Amino acid sequence: MIAQQVLNEWYPVAMAAQIRAGQRRVTQLLGQPITVDLQKGAIVVTGQGGALHVTEAYGHVWACPGAPAHDLFPIPEASEPGRRLVDVGVVRVKCSPLRAVENFLDIAHFPFVHTDVLGAEPHTEVNRYEVQIREDSDEVWATKVTFYQPQAAKSSEGGIVTQYMYRVAAPTAAVLYKTCPNRTDAWDVIGIFVQPLSEELCDVWPWMALYDDVSPQAELIAFQQMIFLQDRSILENQIPRLLPLDPGMEIPTQADLTSIAYRRWLKKRGLTYGAQMVAA
Amino acid sequence: MTPRWTATGLSQDLPKGVVMAGHWMGHDLAVWRSATGRLQAWNDRCPHRGMRLSHGFVRGETLACIYHGWVYGAEGGCKHIPAHPALTPPATITVTSFACAEQDGVIWVAPADMAGSPPAVSGVQPLRSVSLTCDLAAVLAAEPALHGQDILRGTVQMDGQGHDVCLLVQHNPAGLTLHALSGLGANKVAASRWVENLRRRAEMKVAA
Repeated sequence: MIAQQVLNEWYPVAMAAQIRAGQRRVTQLLGQPITVDLQKGAIVVTGQGGALHVTEAYGHVWACPGAPAHDLFPIPEASEPGRRLVDVGVVRVKCSPLRAVENFLDIAHFPFVHTDVLGAEPHTEVNRYEVQIREDSDEVWATKVTFYQPQAAKSSEGGIVTQYMYRVAAPTAAVLYKTCPNRTDAWDVIGIFVQPLSEELCDVWPWMALYDDVSPQAELIAFQQMIFLQDRSILENQIPRLLPLDPGMEIPTQADLTSIAYRRWLKKRGLTYGAQMVAA
Repeated sequence: MTPRWTATGLSQDLPKGVVMAGHWMGHDLAVWRSATGRLQAWNDRCPHRGMRLSHGFVRGETLACIYHGWVYGAEGGCKHIPAHPALTPPATITVTSFACAEQDGVIWVAPADMAGSPPAVSGVQPLRSVSLTCDLAAVLAAEPALHGQDILRGTVQMDGQGHDVCLLVQHNPAGLTLHALSGLGANKVAASRWVENLRRRAEMKVAA
């Protein structure tokens, strides 16, 4: 039995361009079979009980199997002129959708998992940053995050101290804002949209809104794919596969403040699909 | 179940500075050898975020987790957290240790409080480890010359000649691993082929 508050959230289920190109997608959402296809020019998501609520945003199709508790979260940067919007595609990962989001919020792993790209020893220290649960938008935000990166983006020339902001906008969707190598007055925006196929299996759809007029599309996609494949080797080897929400099962430090807030936020809202509540 | 020594690998497959996955009675382990050769077996899980330590890396006398680089030293105590270089990790951050012994070219594991030595396997030399997707009954059905339960012994035919073999049985989540040792007079290539053939025949018993 899936909690109503879980059913009332929005989840990514397809890349919009693929459905619009006539590719029907037979997939799963929260353990139930669904089909995403085009009917008379409109994208339709059908489950066993009939049509699901659908919206299209940020290159992806979003579905809500229950009664939507709110509109899909905004990403204002998506409509800023001059940004390149990049649909990266899909990476299937055998892990809890919540673990996939939590890993996206983590910086301390950069030197070890994305070695010489997003981080490198001896630059391993995570400086204190700020985390809050914003009551107005009901989102988790981490700000004033900084980290030394050898190659922060496809367009980077060398090592820089990158600034980050992280935002959990939905139970299985997060957005990060990071220093744009080409512009001092704007952030690059990268989203991770996670489709919960089941509690222990997910499709991860990275998405980007960048200021980068130079890098070929294929290279931008290849760069992000490389990063997420490195993450997958971690995510498929964490025990347990579900995200533990009760303290005691895992040991966080100050560097994990975002993860701690994300777990608290999930627990408080009863968004426990993909979570383990009691230590095994 | 009575605590007992279980073979988890062959010494030749674990050089200095290397970590590998092991199992003891349903527990996943990280088995590793330090730069100076010290062998240790730990619970295969970093207490920080649950990552398998068998995917980690050995540096000197320590094993580090591949996820966030947390460093563990003798007896599983956390020595260093790279995200907080100035911090001395609390003594409570510890990975559970298992007993680990090396004898006759075989690596054995048991619970930390296990007394005594692993069983001796004499007259044979380490050959190779092989993983099977079947159970022990299928192995014994495929090769009636073998007898035993945790340690299978017997004289089997290789290239038309009878040779002693010893198979150390390790149960793991996916089935069985057999750590094979062969008689001193056996040709290692022929013995290795025999093991491979046994695996195929045993797995076919299940399929049939």
